[in-house]
Amino acid sequence: MELRNRFDVGVFAILVELVPPKGVDISGMLRVAGRLADRVTAFVVPDMGAAVMRLSALGAAMLLQGRGLRTVMQVCCRDRNRLALQGDLLAAYAGGVTSLMVVAGEDLRFGDHHQAAAVNDLDLMELIEAVGVLAAGKDLSGAPLEGAPRFLCGTTVNVGLRDAALDAELDQMHCRAEAGAGFFVTTPVFDLESIGPFTARADIRRLNLVPTVMLLKSLGMARYIQRNMGHIHLPAALIERLQKAPDKTRESLRIARETITAIREAGFKGVLISPMGWEDHLPELFEHLE
Amino acid sequence: MIIADRKPLEEILEMVHDCGSILLVGCKGCVTVCNVGGLKEVEILAATLRIARKKEGRPLEVAQRVLERQCDPEYLEPLRNDYDQFDAVVSMACGVGPQFLSEAYPSQRFYPAVNTRFMGGAVQHGVWEERCAGCGACKIHLFDGLCPIARCSKSLLHGPCGGSAGGKCEVSAEIECIWDKIVRKKMENGRLADLRVFRPAKDWRTSRDGGPRRSIREELVK
Ligand code: SF4
Ligand code: SF4
Repeated sequence: MELRNRFDVGVFAILVELVPPKGVDISGMLRVAGRLADRVTAFVVPDMGAAVMRLSALGAAMLLQGRGLRTVMQVCCRDRNRLALQGDLLAAYAGGVTSLMVVAGEDLRFGDHHQAAAVNDLDLMELIEAVGVLAAGKDLSGAPLEGAPRFLCGTTVNVGLRDAALDAELDQMHCRAEAGAGFFVTTPVFDLESIGPFTARADIRRLNLVPTVMLLKSLGMARYIQRNMGHIHLPAALIERLQKAPDKTRESLRIARETITAIREAGFKGVLISPMGWEDHLPELFEHLE
Repeated sequence: MIIADRKPLEEILEMVHDCGSILLVGCKGCVTVCNVGGLKEVEILAATLRIARKKEGRPLEVAQRVLERQCDPEYLEPLRNDYDQFDAVVSMACGVGPQFLSEAYPSQRFYPAVNTRFMGGAVQHGVWEERCAGCGACKIHLFDGLCPIARCSKSLLHGPCGGSAGGKCEVSAEIECIWDKIVRKKMENGRLADLRVFRPAKDWRTSRDGGPRRSIREELVK
């Protein structure tokens, strides 16, 4: 079922982030996707996430769609001007991609090509608007299109903020929804209670909120998140659980499974699983997930 | 120096539409030299605004001041006593001016009366041209003193594009092709071989792509 329809009828969507290879060997990506296909609503293909150069999101999404696998293609503002963005959006739709996730893109200094020039011709809000303009059958210059792409276009939202920063984020989310954003993928959530201040003020069903569940690959990673990522709340109890567990991998998957179940029970429309390189453990994760 | 152009009168009138009084602040730096925001221009704009608003039947009180520089907090002090006596302050300095003013006097509203265009100089009386894009890693010696980053429409660093024709740039017949000039100069000086050197892709971190920039001169920092 298409992601859009899932959201409409309220069947819980399971999205999995699938990072394209750095190189032309796509066998690993296809193997992972093939193994998970029947449990996953769509694969979210990052657009050079963390500003690391890889096979493009457009290329990877088309390769997956061509093999009957559904995708959500990420599009970032950082690397292309409005001509390239529009052209790639047309190509994606013509190639079978119907869902997008638009993101601003991390700064180049966080990636592996520090010397590059950033583009940022359109900002996130302008890109969301542009997707709407294309859907209405025009390009950004006002010229008519031969066939219009009608994407379901999502974006991101930071749910871990507090006080004035949270007010501003909520405001921005509502502006983006008004501009046409059809779903919102959240920052990683380890504990639903911690995002209470956000969920109390956002209609999670109408806005199609999709929390991200990130797999904790190690105790070190969990500690790093807890110490360094102020807007992601990782409860001390989770760290303790991991610490005490004899089989940390199994425990980590159990934690993810519990979070996914809690997310579904809380009425969210879906979840995005970010495997962080643990794609091979996903079958085990799904096996015990009702 | 920094070159700016005065904004159209209508735009400035629109900005101060709701104001009954404004302070118009000029600058004795670059904008005086390029005849856009010095004493003379402040006087002209002040008079024009007064007349325009009088015609509308809603007179505007315009006080005027010209600061030594607006890009230096110490020269903003003369405004301290009365900056808040006006509904708004309109700066005729480059974009740096109204920002320094906003930072110095956060409770007041500041409006820019000029559009800041580029770094360049006067090529004839009344005509200014761009010469530098502030890339942060100057390479003009490699191009015999002619900067292709600022002056080639595509910022090409390895020779002209296919659109160069008759010394003009493909973007417009008004624009000279700087690569045409660079190549000619290299030929005249017998240094054409310089252009056969391949240079790796430019590092744009020193330009705007590394985020807003800062220059620290340790020996001057107290
Ligand atoms: S090379 Fe860079 S710093 Fe030098 S003139 Fe050109 S833009 Fe300016
Ligand atoms: S015609 Fe000359 S100045 Fe214009 S883009 Fe080409 S090389 Fe640059």
